[in-house]
Parts: sequence; structure tokens; C-alpha cells
Amino acid sequence: MTAPDKPGGQPPPGHSVQATAGRSAEEGGWRAPAGRSVVASAVKSLALVAAAVIGLVRLFTGAGWPTWGLVTACAAAAVLIVGGVAAYDVARLRSTRWRLTGERLELRSGITVRRARAVPRDRVRSVDLRADPVLRLLGLTVVKVGTGERAADGDELTLDPLTRHDAETLRRTLLRGAAADEQSGERVDRDAPLAELRWSWVRYAPLTVWTFAGAAVVLGVAYKAAERLGLEDLAEQAAGPVWDWVTGHPLPAVVLLLTVNVAVGALGAVAQFAESWGRYRLDREPGRLRLRRGLLTARSLTLEERRLRGVEVREPLLLRLGGGARVKAIATGLGKAGDGETEDVGALAPPLPRPLAWRLADAIATGDARTDLGAGLVRHPPAARRRRVVRAVVLVAVLTAMTGVVSWSVPWPWPWMGPWMGAWVWAVPAVAAPVAWWGAVTGARSLGHALAGRHLVTRQGAMIRRTVALERAGISGWTITESFFQRRAGLVTVSATTAAGDGHYEVLDVGRGDGLELAARAAPGLLEPFLVRPANGPDVSLH
Amino acid sequence: MTGTSMRPPRNRADPRAVRWWTAQWLILMVPVAAAAVWAYWTFTDRPMWLGVVVAAFGAGCLALAVGAPRAYYQVERWEVTDDAVYTRKGWLTHTWQVAPMSRIQRIDTARGPVQRLFGLADVTVTTASSAGAITIAALDHQLAADLAERLTARTQATPGDAT
Repeated sequence: MTAPDKPGGQPPPGHSVQATAGRSAEEGGWRAPAGRSVVASAVKSLALVAAAVIGLVRLFTGAGWPTWGLVTACAAAAVLIVGGVAAYDVARLRSTRWRLTGERLELRSGITVRRARAVPRDRVRSVDLRADPVLRLLGLTVVKVGTGERAADGDELTLDPLTRHDAETLRRTLLRGAAADEQSGERVDRDAPLAELRWSWVRYAPLTVWTFAGAAVVLGVAYKAAERLGLEDLAEQAAGPVWDWVTGHPLPAVVLLLTVNVAVGALGAVAQFAESWGRYRLDREPGRLRLRRGLLTARSLTLEERRLRGVEVREPLLLRLGGGARVKAIATGLGKAGDGETEDVGALAPPLPRPLAWRLADAIATGDARTDLGAGLVRHPPAARRRRVVRAVVLVAVLTAMTGVVSWSVPWPWPWMGPWMGAWVWAVPAVAAPVAWWGAVTGARSLGHALAGRHLVTRQGAMIRRTVALERAGISGWTITESFFQRRAGLVTVSATTAAGDGHYEVLDVGRGDGLELAARAAPGLLEPFLVRPANGPDVSLH
Repeated sequence: MTGTSMRPPRNRADPRAVRWWTAQWLILMVPVAAAAVWAYWTFTDRPMWLGVVVAAFGAGCLALAVGAPRAYYQVERWEVTDDAVYTRKGWLTHTWQVAPMSRIQRIDTARGPVQRLFGLADVTVTTASSAGAITIAALDHQLAADLAERLTARTQATPGDAT
């Protein structure tokens, strides 16, 4: 079982480059995954055993079995399950072999259907490590090697699992090869990180809508779990008196429920923050960024800087009110978040204090935390604000008209509450009016754009304010749209298409001339031949 | 504010496009109008005022089917230079799209069944962006084939990995 960790053995034929310290005595440098994986699988199968035992107990307590029979049955089931899982894992490990040659990383796997796959080393773009708590205790890590091109399913090669030491060595070897010609820094790990967790940031964790919706979700999950364990009768018995009490005392009950909801939601958010971002650390290694995070499940994600096309600073409403912000990478071939991942694949940092978030974004995008990408944004013309206000007014007018129709035509369904209760429907437009106004004004205020060195910076959004700094060299085309109403207001939406992130990033409702000049300067030469300027046209250098 | 604006691309769609688009609109609109007339004839007791409304609706459908393609033909334009592909489209909402040759990854020509009757084809130019595909609609099919070939040659000659 410890064969893969033995040092020594012969290097692969014809190549001096050998990644890993330990190697098995297989022919041609083929190596097995870590044998300790069997232990991990057996431990994880205990969850199945627990479920089976509960099922058996429920099934046979009614049938009048003696206790010893029940215990025997449970023990037999446990042995069967653990043994089966372990046997499967042994078979899987025996059929899985991998090796690193000078050109390729190769993997052979499959118990019944044999599969051989290879990834050329110069196409490796990411080596992601992930270890759940059980694997971590055993010093194991699952390695995912990606080429990062399309992020399609078949594009990744998974080594499940390697010892932590092997995984780390493999990661370093694969990626050093990729960035070798750029720089040769060996001990960059010792440098100060770009960012490192401070537990005080946990105060931003509850500032999401999930805090307010979360408790209901938690309750639902808890009930589902109770049902799974056969405790639904108990849950229903408990729910009955609670419901009676709630209907008996509506006012204190509502206050209490809301408080408990927020408290549970906040607790959940904090717990999730701790699990996702505990031991968070973002480093810059030569030619790439390395993100490490996770309190229980340790994750290590590596992003090549040549895939990076910019950064995005996101400020959702609640987080913004609390003075926080999040930083996301805009990169090509990032793919989708895996199962059970709570964070966006592009997320580079937990919610941070806004100044810190901006410093981090600047450092990632330009390599210098002192450049200020978010400063000096050009505001958009008053017509953009007018457009939003008109939209809000129309929305509220329609709502008011609908409310009028409803209150006039539909009788109040609960007459016992008194006829004056019907007036409550008017709360809808009354609440909507200030909210819509706020949305219009805030949305208009957040609009802005700038050209900052290598980046095109654009900002928009009322509920979620997004500031995007897109590398100008990454712009792969322009789409300019002008709706009927925009035309009358002299506005256009200039959208830069790019291979990374969302695929396109917009400069929303910018003045027509300003927007086109901005696009022309952001990617020189591209838009120029298709523009017409007035004969005594303005100097391009003026803004 | 500066007075800069986009100039229209140089080329129009093939004149046969008007007939093709008209055929498309008719395929869509004739059943709608017929259904309205049929419903009026079978399900109502044929009041005069409803007859006028239905007739106006049917006439509106047909007018749209005849008028919209002509309006499109005025608006839809395209141009291919040595460095970029440039199109304009849209009637109420104008859309201009520009893609540089260096970023083009794929060139497709497509001919639908009805389109083939009119000897037309579309050319679609795809960049690495999920949002950047540009379609030049309703070209003469020979012209479309030549254009696709020219674009392929041109993009292969342009260095860069197109991302």
C-alpha cells in the first residue's frame, strides 16, 4: 500500500525530467495512485453504513427480531458495505496508472472499460488540488490537470488521489515547465502573498440575501435529513405545538421568527465563509496566480496569468452598504464550478473591505497595487439618468394603474378584516415608487467608464454594482447597439467582446460620440476605418 | 459631446433577399391571418365590427410581411476589409458589429431549405468570445462561398492565437 511513496526506481526512458520524488517500480515509469486511498474510501463508506443500519433498525424493530439478530444483521451489512467499497477501490487503484514523461502526462484507468488519456505538458494550464477532510487526515490530495482551453468535460485529467507531497511536486513540475521561459524564481512561495485571510473579514459574510432566506433553507434541509433518518413523525409532533403557539401569538411570533431566521442565516453564512475561505491565501508565482483556501476541504487553484484578461470588482447592495466588495478574475477557459462548490470559479477573494479589494484588483490586473483602476471614471451624460427615471416613472404608473383596477374590480377576499383593509394593496405602488426612484438614481450614478493604461474600465448596476477592468489587448471585437429610445437620447451601448469571462462587457448608455471614441482608443485601429467624424472634428486626444 | 458616428458598411444583401425574407414572413403570417379569419367565421356570429377588426388584422399581417423585408434590406449591410468584418443590422434597435481578422476562429456558411430555392447563403464568423459571432445574412451563394474562402485564407495569414 505504501509502494508509491518509496523513493528510488528508474526514471522514464530517454528523459531527464522527472517530476516526482517517489516512483513505483512499474515498467516505463508508470505509477499507481496512493494506496492509502482504500482507507479513505472505507472511512467514507461509513456514511453508507450508518444509513443502512438506520434502515435495518427501522425495518426490523417492527418485525419482532431479537436484539442479537438485529446486531448481527447490522454488523453483516457494515462488513459487506465497507468490504465492497474497499474492494472496488483496490480494483480501481490496481487498474489506474499514470506517468509523466518529457512531453506528456499520461493516465490509464478503468476497471472494465480501459481508457488511456494523455495531456501534452506544454498545454497544461491548470493543476488544481482538492482534499476533503478524510483525504487531508491521510495526507492525500486529488489532482486535476486542465488544459484550460474549452473547459469541456473531457478536457481534464484527474489523478485520484496522490500523496500530498507527490501532488505538490507534480503541480510545481507541470507548471514550472509552462512558465519556465518567463522567469526562473524558485522560492517565490516565501514572498509575501497578494492576500491572506484576516478573520475580521468574517463580518462581511452575513451581508448576502442568503442570510435572510438561509434559515428557511436550513430548516428544509434539516427536515429532509430527519425524514431520511425516519424521524419525520418526531418532526411533525414538534411542529404541531409550535404552529399552535405561532397562531396564538402572531405578533411576538413574527418578530421571534424573523430574528431566529436572520440569526440562523447569519450563522450559516459565517460557517460557510469559514469553510470556503479559511486558510485563504493568494500568491503570485512566476507567470501565474495561486489560490489556496478551505478550512475542512483544502483547495488549491492555479491560474495562468496569460489566461487572465482582467478583473471584476463586485459590490452587491448589502455588501456595499457594509463597505465591502468582492474580486473576481476574468480569464479564459475557467469553466463551471464543480459539484458542492459554493464559490464562483473566478472568485479570487472572500468579501473584503472595499479599499483592500481595490488594491488587490489593481495588483492582480497591473502588477502594482498603487495604480488605481477604479478612480477617475468618466460619468455618463444626464440623458442616461433621464432614461432610468422615465423607466421608473412608467413602471410605477403601470403598477398604480394595475392596483387601481384590482382594488376596483376584485372584492377584498377577507371581509372579516374590515373594509379598510382593502386599502393595503396601495402599499404596493407606495413602496415601489421610492424603490424604483432609488434604483434609477443609483443605477445612473454607478455608470462610468475610463481608459486606464492597459485596461478598459466600465461600471454599472444598482443592486449589484460591477466594475470591470478588461485588458485592452483582450478585446476581440465590438458590438454597438442603439435602441430607438437610446437614439432619441443620443446614447449608445458599447460592448467589448472577449474570449474570457462573460464573453462581453458593456459600457452602458454612454454618449454616442464619447462611446465610439472610447472604443476607437481602447483597441486602436479596429474601429477607426468605420467611423465618420465631422469635418472640423475634435482632436482624438481631447476628451 | 463629439459628433463621431458609425458609417454604414459598404455592401447590401443580395436583392433576392427581399423575396426570400418576404417568403419567410408569408410562411409565418399567412397561417396567422387565416386562423384569425377562420376563427371569426366559425366561432362567432359574425358581427360587422369584429369583421372589420379581423380584416384590419389580416391586412396588417400581410402589410408587415411585404413591408418588413424591404425595411430590412435598407438597413442590413456588411463589409469585409483586410483587417475586419463589419456589419449593421436592426430596424428599431441598430446593431453594429466589428470583429478583427486576427480574432476570427471559425467561418461557416449555411443554407436553409427555403434559402436554397433563392440561391442564397449566410456567412457566420465566430471569434473566441461566446458573444462575438457575426452573421452576414442572405448573400448570393457563390459570393458567400468565395467570401468564406477569402476569409479563411486571410485569417490563416494573420498571426495570433485568436484569444
